[in-house]
Amino acid sequence: MLNRSTAIVRSCRPGALGIATCIGLLSLLASPAAWGDNNASRYIDSPALITLVEAGELPAVDARLPEHPRVIPMDGTRRTAGRHGGQWRMLINRSKDVKLFSVYGYARLVNYSDTLELVPDILEDVIIDEGRIFTLKLRKGHRWSDGHPFTAEDFRYWWEDVANNDDLSPSGPPRVLLVDDNPPQVEFIDDWTVRFTWDQPNPLFLPALAGASPLFIYRPAHYLGQFHELYKNAGKKKKKSWRTRNWASEHNRMDNLYKSDNPDLPTLQPWVNTTRPPATRFVGLRNPYFHRVDPAGRQLPYIDEITMTVADGKLIPAKAGSGEVDLQARGLKFSDYTFLKEGEERHNFDVRLWRTATGAHLALYPNLNVNDPVYQALFRDVRFRRALSLAVNRHEINQVMYFGLALETNNLILPDSPLYNETTAHAWAGFDIDRANALLNEIGLTEFNDDDIRLMPNGEPLELIIETAGEDTEQTDVLQLVSDSWKQIGVKIYTKPSQREVFRNRIFSGETHMSIWSGYDNGVPTADMSPTEFTPTQQMGLHWPKWGQWYESKGSAGEPPQMQVARDLLNLHAQWLAAGSRDERELIWQQIITLHADNVLTIGLVAGVLQPILVHNSLRNIPDKGIYSWDPGAHFGIYMPDTFWFDD
Amino acid sequence: MLTYVIRRVLIMIPTMLAISVLTFIIIQLPPGDYLTTYIAELQAQGEGANLDKIEFLRAEYGLDKPLIEQYGVWLLGMLQGDMGYSFEYNLPVNEVVEDRLLLTFIVSFSTIIFTWIVSFPIGVYSATHQYSISDHGLTFLGFLGLATPNFLLALVLLYVANVTFGTSIGGLMDPEYLGQPWSGGKLLSVLEHLWVPVVVIGTSNTAGMIRRLRANLLDELQKQYVTTGRAKGLPPGRLLMKYPLRMALNPFISDIGNLLPQVISGAAIVSVVLSLPTTGPMLLDALRTQDMYLAGSFLMFMAFLTVVGVFVSDLALAALDPRIRLSGGATR
Amino acid sequence: MTDRPTDTPGDPGPGNSPDKLKHWSSDAPFDPYTTETLTAEQERFYMASQWQMMWWKLKRHHVAVVAGVFLLIIYGTILVSEFLAPYNLHARDVDHIYAPPQAVQLFHEGELRAPFVYGFKYELDMENLKRVYVRDETKIHTIRWFCLGDSYKFWGMVTMRFHVFCPGNGGTLFLFGTDRLGRDMLSRIIYGARISLTVGLIGISISFILGLLLGGISGYYGGVPDTLIQRFIEIIRSFPELPLWMALSAALPVTWSPIVIYFGITIILGLIDWTGLARAVRSKLLALREEDFATAAVLMGARPRRVIGRHLIPSFMSHLIASATLSIPSMILGETALSFLGLGLRPPITSWGVLLNESQNINAVALYPWLMLPVVPVILVVLAFNFLGDGLRDAADPYK
Repeated sequence: MLNRSTAIVRSCRPGALGIATCIGLLSLLASPAAWGDNNASRYIDSPALITLVEAGELPAVDARLPEHPRVIPMDGTRRTAGRHGGQWRMLINRSKDVKLFSVYGYARLVNYSDTLELVPDILEDVIIDEGRIFTLKLRKGHRWSDGHPFTAEDFRYWWEDVANNDDLSPSGPPRVLLVDDNPPQVEFIDDWTVRFTWDQPNPLFLPALAGASPLFIYRPAHYLGQFHELYKNAGKKKKKSWRTRNWASEHNRMDNLYKSDNPDLPTLQPWVNTTRPPATRFVGLRNPYFHRVDPAGRQLPYIDEITMTVADGKLIPAKAGSGEVDLQARGLKFSDYTFLKEGEERHNFDVRLWRTATGAHLALYPNLNVNDPVYQALFRDVRFRRALSLAVNRHEINQVMYFGLALETNNLILPDSPLYNETTAHAWAGFDIDRANALLNEIGLTEFNDDDIRLMPNGEPLELIIETAGEDTEQTDVLQLVSDSWKQIGVKIYTKPSQREVFRNRIFSGETHMSIWSGYDNGVPTADMSPTEFTPTQQMGLHWPKWGQWYESKGSAGEPPQMQVARDLLNLHAQWLAAGSRDERELIWQQIITLHADNVLTIGLVAGVLQPILVHNSLRNIPDKGIYSWDPGAHFGIYMPDTFWFDD
Repeated sequence: MLTYVIRRVLIMIPTMLAISVLTFIIIQLPPGDYLTTYIAELQAQGEGANLDKIEFLRAEYGLDKPLIEQYGVWLLGMLQGDMGYSFEYNLPVNEVVEDRLLLTFIVSFSTIIFTWIVSFPIGVYSATHQYSISDHGLTFLGFLGLATPNFLLALVLLYVANVTFGTSIGGLMDPEYLGQPWSGGKLLSVLEHLWVPVVVIGTSNTAGMIRRLRANLLDELQKQYVTTGRAKGLPPGRLLMKYPLRMALNPFISDIGNLLPQVISGAAIVSVVLSLPTTGPMLLDALRTQDMYLAGSFLMFMAFLTVVGVFVSDLALAALDPRIRLSGGATR
Repeated sequence: MTDRPTDTPGDPGPGNSPDKLKHWSSDAPFDPYTTETLTAEQERFYMASQWQMMWWKLKRHHVAVVAGVFLLIIYGTILVSEFLAPYNLHARDVDHIYAPPQAVQLFHEGELRAPFVYGFKYELDMENLKRVYVRDETKIHTIRWFCLGDSYKFWGMVTMRFHVFCPGNGGTLFLFGTDRLGRDMLSRIIYGARISLTVGLIGISISFILGLLLGGISGYYGGVPDTLIQRFIEIIRSFPELPLWMALSAALPVTWSPIVIYFGITIILGLIDWTGLARAVRSKLLALREEDFATAAVLMGARPRRVIGRHLIPSFMSHLIASATLSIPSMILGETALSFLGLGLRPPITSWGVLLNESQNINAVALYPWLMLPVVPVILVVLAFNFLGDGLRDAADPYK
């Protein structure tokens, strides 16, 4: 699948920034221009809205859709055309998760297709020149969920009155929009065209727009304007019901396109939250102005209503298993599969398993910035890291905890990524105690104490404290397994549970030897996705917090990378940002992956653990196999929940 | 009496101040603040946090100010009836709490009534029939309720109720009634869900109540005035009601102080397990996420109720037992 | 008590005629002690100390005695947990994950044998991702007694292999089943007792001392100390327990080792619990100090400490003991609650609370109910404490 679309992309316009240019092409192919123009209504409305239309409260469906809606192809096998109606019940852990309306909705200016290619979605087209000039074309006649037109004005409002407003954005426009610290030049060419221009290529721009938690570069100006100091009527002050420090905080509170917690805020997502928090049940109704249609002209989404009920995390599997949901993934874990499966018959649902897409489900991060000089020297010795990795019995972990269904690879890239290759994925990931022992002997750790634990150069036993912030027992269980196999190479570990904040701060300050956490967030990158995580550019990198901080703070805090491999990675990161073509980026990615695999910078324990997806038997268009990924993917987002529908 | 009341009210002022300081310390004790928790949570879900936004929020929430100033602002707000702002819910604290009060009241009152209805007759019976088979039996039952860890019992009952009666798991009503106006169906659904929390929370309270009532009553029953009364030929029932029972109730009266905040807070852990839309889980979450104004103001509110409750119970105690001198022993 | 034997009516009296009342007196020498001479039995009873009498009275309370013996035994086991547990605490058996309990058998095909368990036939159900265990009656694992098994460090010091009973050679012995890593639940419960049982004792000692001391001062002196202490108690009590627990345990330094954290938590439990006791002490004192005997003691020049300690406190010991009995179990339960919140002890430490927390999910309830077995010792211990306390309470007022 991936190869096919890459091929299409490559055939488009070589040299230029590949993807986006063909995106336009693809969307043009799919546009409904090919249809004959009937007098009758071109589009089919949901029965749920027809009464409103007849009552005159809502314009007819043709008038609500943009001139060129996005037509979602239904090939009849992977995706079939359906019908309107139904209610999708799901459970959320806390009321904040109402943001899932915008995550699952996944209407973005550009978004990822289910083959992880970027395609225009809200935009009709994106034209990219030289990788630095982005011309965004809006759909004529596209409207916000309240019926107000969605135009370049909404982009202008955001750029001029939000991103560049000192009160609302004290630190200026978002960092992604800065290339070498320079903001773009933004032009509003007409009502439907916006252009962003940088001096240098900005490969991070489009992926940021397509994120699960995206960069919103537009705002409903007509709604938010009333809270903005520039526009709001000074004489008519709103009643002060709580301490508002200034207008900015009120504006900020109203302005949550992502969080979906303000039912008054117009949106472009397929479902609009209608419940104002605090509540224990949130109801999302179909957006009558949503811009996608199916080939038959049915306005999407098919499903009329989503309800999200707040339930305690520990009860979600129980409630889901007793048939209280129609489609649910959040809150379900692999270990719940057996229980869920037992309810299948009785409650008429099916439990599917999708592969999670983090680089590893769990990985050990040796802290290369640990303060203790003895440990630091060991961790920075590649032989030591390799030995530790070789001494992890991944097969056992897989069998004991995941029924052998997970992948026994290191913390890198999953087979679903076009960049995947077998060799790097398994590099130093086999179970080989003898080789590990040999490596440790080679380092010179040849002395043992009475408990058969190796002694470090300073005479202390080699005891690692592995810190965990896991709230359930999975991490401590895995560590128990690791502990047993590492004993065979004379390394003793202690597990130390702590709270998340403490956990991070101790790593940042170099107090922690080693930590356990999930692997790299994006295990299915394409060459066009940023390799930031894989390079020492973030303080959040648990293996090199100080180097990451150094990069993030431009040298004012943290430490410059002191290992050759880290410096190499940093260079590659810079090269990737400046690269002009996809091929070049792919090459850089390969180098990063190879360096990573060979140097065992993190010790992946197990990857691709399966995520149970509970699907009601009457729901259609939900793939049997999929990837369950936050970014890229927005969990269900790339599979377009607006195309899910209820059969009888 | 009046001076006593006034004195007590005056004493309450420094008490409340001390409580406010303690509350503030409690919510500040755990390391980090709301935003660090928030960042950590975002990262746990793989969402990178936008650091610019975080700094903005830190300034907006006033978390960059020194603690003393944060305390001052909060205290001043409280005095004006403004409970502050919940970061987590993005709403004023008053609204967040109000939303949950009604159902919390329902659960708590049902539980208290359940506890009293069950423990009162059993306690009296046990005391008057000391060491009989039924005394032992009832005692055993009471202890059993006390001995079972609540949260486990809660989960098991939920599962059983779901499998046998088809009651939806957790919550106080079937999901379709959430957020709907009250109706007969909704009421039925609430009743159907209510028994699990009431039984679970009630059982542990009941045992304690029975034990204490029995112990106190036994003490009283052996006093001479009871013998005298009996000798005088008072009917046993009337004798019991009129004197020893009244005396044995003293500890319950002093319990009123605790009852008030209990009504508001509910039984937090059980409510978490049962996923009840009450204030208990909200408070726990607020403490965990360090949503400090929500946690702080709510704690403060409960503390206030306790102080008032203790005041009321002291008054009641004095009224019931004239021997407890109103001056509280100040002359000695 | 007041009727004097010299006035007994059996005396024939001087005569029957009413008009003549002759003076008469007994010739027998007067010995005021005759009637008060005690039998040996009475002597023992009257001369016994209060504690002795409490013991006699307690002995008559059979349930309490049984409970007390039970507790003694249970507390005894924590001294030798390593011997009693058939497996090492960390031993895991990858081939027996989520294995159900194996029942001890005595008869095989109608034939009496030494105690044994049947082995398992094990299948992996890949459809439902479930490990299916079927009893295999061809595999007989005879339990070995006083045997060598998993090695362990006794009290963390001496490496030993002795166990009271072990699985048969090459067999398994999971009397309470196994958990998700194939660890023996029975062994984990036995080891967990060490932590869980001592939490209550340490905690209650702290709480008892504080409660008695502060409650006593408050109730007896009244006035300023009373006001201060009452305000203080009010302040502490005006918070629900949970936030206090949470804040205090979150404030325990992360650098502390697990065992120190454990002590920290017991102290927290004790520090929060004392107020109830103190209040009870005070309210009783307030009432009691108005009693005649207290006034008498004061008039005789007894110092406050003596009045409180010697006269007042013993007179409501029953109440204190009733409260304390209810407190120890609530501490044990408190530990489980804290562990449930993830604030108390956390794995790899093993306590009953930790074990219960692990079983606190729908999988355990629906699929692996034996994971909830740690609730049995919790209930038994709590019950035992209650019954013992009940007996003590009755015995505390032996003069009634």
